[in-house]
Amino acid sequence: MVVPVTPAKKKQGGNPVIKARADGRIPLTPSPKVNRMPTTPPRKTSKGEKSVYGGNLTSHFAKLQLSPKSRAKKAAAEKESAASSSRKAVASSSSSSSSTTLASSSRSKSTEDLHLDLGVSDFALAPTERASSVQPSSSAGSTAAKKKSKTTIRVNQGDRFIPARPRGSPRNAGMSGPSSSSGNRPGSAGSNHPTLEGSVFGSNNLDNSDNDDDAIPKKKEDEAYAYENALGNAVGINVNQRILVYKPAPPESSKPVDLRSQYNRAVKPNASAQFRRRILTAPDRVLDAPGLVDDYYLNLLDWSSDNQIAIGLERSVYVWNGESGTVTELLECKPDDYIASVKWSHDGAHIAVGLGTGDVQIWDAEEGTRLRTMTGHTARVGSLSWNRGILSTGSRTGLIFNHDVRIAQHKVAELVSHTSEVCGLEWRSDGAQLASGGNDNLVNIWDARSLEAPKWTKTNHKAAVKALAWCPWQLNLLATGGGSYDRHIHFWNSTSGARVNSIDAGSQVTSLRWSTTYREIVSCHGFPDNQLAIWSYPSLVRNVEIPAHETRVLHSALSPDGQTLATAASDESLKFWKVFERKVGTKTQQEEREEGGKMEKRMTIR
Amino acid sequence: MSSATSKPAAKVKSSTSSSSKPASSKTSSSKTGTKTKKTKTEPSKEPFIGEDGVEKVHRLSLKGSSRLVTEFFEYSINTILFQRGVYPAEDFTPVKKYGLNMLVSSDDQVKAYIKKITSQLSKWMYSGSINKLVIVISSRDDGIDIERWQFDVEMMGAAAEKFKKEVPEHLAEVAQRDKDKPEKEIQEEIQGLFRQITASVTFLPMLDGRCTFNVLVYADGNVEVPVEWGDSDPREIENAEKVALRTWGTNNHRVQTAVSYRLID
Repeated sequence: MVVPVTPAKKKQGGNPVIKARADGRIPLTPSPKVNRMPTTPPRKTSKGEKSVYGGNLTSHFAKLQLSPKSRAKKAAAEKESAASSSRKAVASSSSSSSSTTLASSSRSKSTEDLHLDLGVSDFALAPTERASSVQPSSSAGSTAAKKKSKTTIRVNQGDRFIPARPRGSPRNAGMSGPSSSSGNRPGSAGSNHPTLEGSVFGSNNLDNSDNDDDAIPKKKEDEAYAYENALGNAVGINVNQRILVYKPAPPESSKPVDLRSQYNRAVKPNASAQFRRRILTAPDRVLDAPGLVDDYYLNLLDWSSDNQIAIGLERSVYVWNGESGTVTELLECKPDDYIASVKWSHDGAHIAVGLGTGDVQIWDAEEGTRLRTMTGHTARVGSLSWNRGILSTGSRTGLIFNHDVRIAQHKVAELVSHTSEVCGLEWRSDGAQLASGGNDNLVNIWDARSLEAPKWTKTNHKAAVKALAWCPWQLNLLATGGGSYDRHIHFWNSTSGARVNSIDAGSQVTSLRWSTTYREIVSCHGFPDNQLAIWSYPSLVRNVEIPAHETRVLHSALSPDGQTLATAASDESLKFWKVFERKVGTKTQQEEREEGGKMEKRMTIR
Repeated sequence: MSSATSKPAAKVKSSTSSSSKPASSKTSSSKTGTKTKKTKTEPSKEPFIGEDGVEKVHRLSLKGSSRLVTEFFEYSINTILFQRGVYPAEDFTPVKKYGLNMLVSSDDQVKAYIKKITSQLSKWMYSGSINKLVIVISSRDDGIDIERWQFDVEMMGAAAEKFKKEVPEHLAEVAQRDKDKPEKEIQEEIQGLFRQITASVTFLPMLDGRCTFNVLVYADGNVEVPVEWGDSDPREIENAEKVALRTWGTNNHRVQTAVSYRLID
């Protein structure tokens, strides 16, 4: 049982205790009723309970009649002590008329007082008791009262907490007590407050004073009643009503909900519609990639806008033509060197190659000639990213250089933040921001206009961050994937720096690619499943998982039409997956955007 | 659950109206927990074909009516959570109910939370000790109550008799009229209300930011309260606009729905 606070509750809280005693010991029966009987509706219940206590009463009567003298003696002895304490209580209470205060204070303040009071009056005024018959029920009432007085003393001992109750519970609790005992009798059955009073007082043998002051306590109680009623109304508490709340906090929403998009939703949830999309789980084509270096920190695969794939295999860079399927060896570096990264320029005409020595070369793919070599890094260059004329290179030292490949003094910026190898580097498509991930578990987002310090540094990943991908349909959304100790994919708002979503991918994330056709992102994974996983965004529902390679998927690249994903793994194979195959007649977002952003408008309506 | 089912032993017999009265009047004090004579429990759901071959409308038993109301509460909570975006739409799955596609949470935690609430509600409904269910939607950030859905439950007919509730004056006529309300009609009323709740998103203000909800009940003063439930203030919305929605009812209960929401100044 909750510890009660409101008046109604108090009443309730007190009841079981008293009831239990009443059940155990017959004499106590009146006291529960004292607290039980409320003003209007509860009166019914008390009537309903009549039978329960009726038996008790009669038995009391019998008992009382059997040994009135012994009772009186006992009472007398006990009451003397009780009387003094009750008088103290009376004295402390501030009311004026003594007898009234006895009655009213006892009722309104505490049952304990009430019992004591009854005892005192019983004892002191015994002679007058029988002489004065105030009510038809007086004799019965008096016996009940005697009973009461006898029992009360026992009650008092343990019942310390009760005093607060009558005050808290509206006066009905205090006042109705006597009424219930006397109310059972014919004389006072239908009694309202005055008659109740009378019977009570009669039973208390306080007739002499009682009769005189009868009106006063009544008034007082009425006032008290009115006051409490008013108080209740003012506070808005209905005494017979409790407002309950289910206290445990509801589970938190997994993510913020934007109702606008919800209202705008298709009848069938998007995720399921996408789920129904058939994703080919078999590779479209498999090529051999002998000698692919099994190094997580390198970036050896790229697909150009011209539909050519460049792959670095040990010391050579090969170019596979997507149209014709022909393979050419573009370059072979010095024997003491190896290819650490390859990256096509936006137009697909040039290819940047990062080398193990720290050199960066620019090659003309068509001619097969080296255009220039840019030095500067003192350790291997494992990551490259183009931003039009600017090539950013990330090295094992943790430094990122921006090279303007069109000018002689190519090094235009040095981005210092990472303390360990930079293994992921990705310019946003509009060239305004650069994301970098390092072996120091950091994700840095750089603003192209101020490269002295990263705009945001994110420390959430717990392993090296190689996988970085900017969302094609929401420019400021960046996805990053952590290494084998981290296994998470985080989604960032690069404008506010906030993490907007997260996926526990379950295994090392080696690369991430957004679909340009669907609202999906594909992630490549390492041990144990070496799988590809396609996730819907933003629902983050995993649409499909494809076991892809025998060993960890090291690199991935998306075809220029956005339909095919190429993956290279240390099992020395290069596989093509048509995971984002378009239905005939649909357009890529790129194409849609080019059509004047009609799609965008449709999506943001409302 | 067992305690709840044992208490309201009075089953209103569906065949005769007069039999319900003595049965219910006997169960005078629910507090003492005395079991009263159990009248035969007969399923009131299936249509009963009388001897004359005419389909007789079976009246809903008091228990059935309480169950119906509890069930309605469950769907209301789910619907409101979905419609007001307390949880993401993906967390909900459609279920056919009341001739509608009702969206019910499929998130285990949310499901368990609602289940705990409704199982207690059903106990209270069976003992006729609650008269209001309130769903308060509040902001998770600043805790301000934003929206308040209130379902007033009034009892009439056998329920009022059994639980000693006074039938409000305005219900006297309704009680008479709905004495033999067919279930189909009840279902249609509920359906209409849910349509209204769904449609209410058009006039309710947008809920921005993360929201959470609480379930409140208005119970009788002497109700048995489990530990998970505690006293609360009514959590009325300040400066609110209140819109009353449709009312539906069975032969025993009448549910009046209203939503109040904070006016944007």
